[in-house]
Amino acid sequence: MRHEQEEFADFYRASRDSCLRAVTAVVGDRELAEEQVAEAFTRAWTSWGKVRRHAAPRAWVVRTALNLGVTWWRRRHREVPLAEHDAAAPAGLDDGVDPALIAALRRLPARQREVLALRVFLDLDTESTAKVLGIAQGTVTAHLSRAVTALRRELPPANTNATEVTR
Amino acid sequence: MNEHDDVMCQVRESFSVLRMDVPVEHFFASSRARRHRRLSALTAAAAATAGAAAALALIPGGAAPARTGNPQARAGNPPPASPRAAELTAFSVTSGPGNSTTLTLRKGTRLDPGALRQALARHGIPALVTVGTLCRSTPGSSASFDQILHASTLADGSDVLVISGQAIPAGTRLSIGYFPNHVQLALIKDGARLACGSTSRQPAVRITPAGTPIRG
Repeated sequence: MRHEQEEFADFYRASRDSCLRAVTAVVGDRELAEEQVAEAFTRAWTSWGKVRRHAAPRAWVVRTALNLGVTWWRRRHREVPLAEHDAAAPAGLDDGVDPALIAALRRLPARQREVLALRVFLDLDTESTAKVLGIAQGTVTAHLSRAVTALRRELPPANTNATEVTR
Repeated sequence: MNEHDDVMCQVRESFSVLRMDVPVEHFFASSRARRHRRLSALTAAAAATAGAAAALALIPGGAAPARTGNPQARAGNPPPASPRAAELTAFSVTSGPGNSTTLTLRKGTRLDPGALRQALARHGIPALVTVGTLCRSTPGSSASFDQILHASTLADGSDVLVISGQAIPAGTRLSIGYFPNHVQLALIKDGARLACGSTSRQPAVRITPAGTPIRG
């Protein structure tokens, strides 16, 4: 048990930030993302015997966190049948993330955000991303291409004037 | 070099400031508490089933287990706990103290918002219950929570809310936002426009681990 706890703690420390970033990029709300990721890690520990053998445990956590969000979303809509209750803007990110980027991400379809998040923050290849999302590899490539094209159109070009100092 | 690298790097760098601060011990404790609650629920269900079976056996002509044709019952094995029993462990609503109503919310459980809303309604408390979000009305209610609510936290982390239903102004409802690790409350006016979100920036009451309602 002690060994499993240490193993899980190592996994958590190595994965927590990337999982949080991936889920935040998809849901666009840091506080909500943190709640969902925390719940997903709790479930990961509860099922650690299974999760540790998973091909991509970090992807398992992110997928679980995103599924939780869908559950909450559905419950919310069943519970609050009032028009315009979603008019409130999602919480922003006060942590220094470029607001223009957040706005651009929110305009992407959910599936494109998911593909982008898995590729960028979890470094999954096309095949693994396709497996995690249950879609074809060609679909992953298409979603990523469209997402990147849309972001490139909306975002200012990255600063390419950075100077690398070599000694 | 991937043709998408520039944008992907830009996204990666922009999010690099986000860090998860939850200590790993939190997951061990949550998981332990959840397992304990599940065992308690199963034990309670088994005890209830055994009690019901005993009562039926005492009634003349009652359906004794041997007559049910249920192999499990004949073998003396309790049936598995129903989903309903599991749902009920997420909250309890009881009368008292005095004219007030006590709501206990257990953390880390799957709350059925409709069931909680109905349970509160039976105690005369109009409420809107949401999971993962809190709804507020515009305009909000000017009533004070001090007259309506007293909050505390039990040793197991459960939130206990003593609600004075009579103090809730007419045309006003209690909005309860249930989150995995905390509960947020607000007062909303009937018929007013609602805005729901997970942020605590707008005025609301958030139950802290110490059980103190704070404005946030």
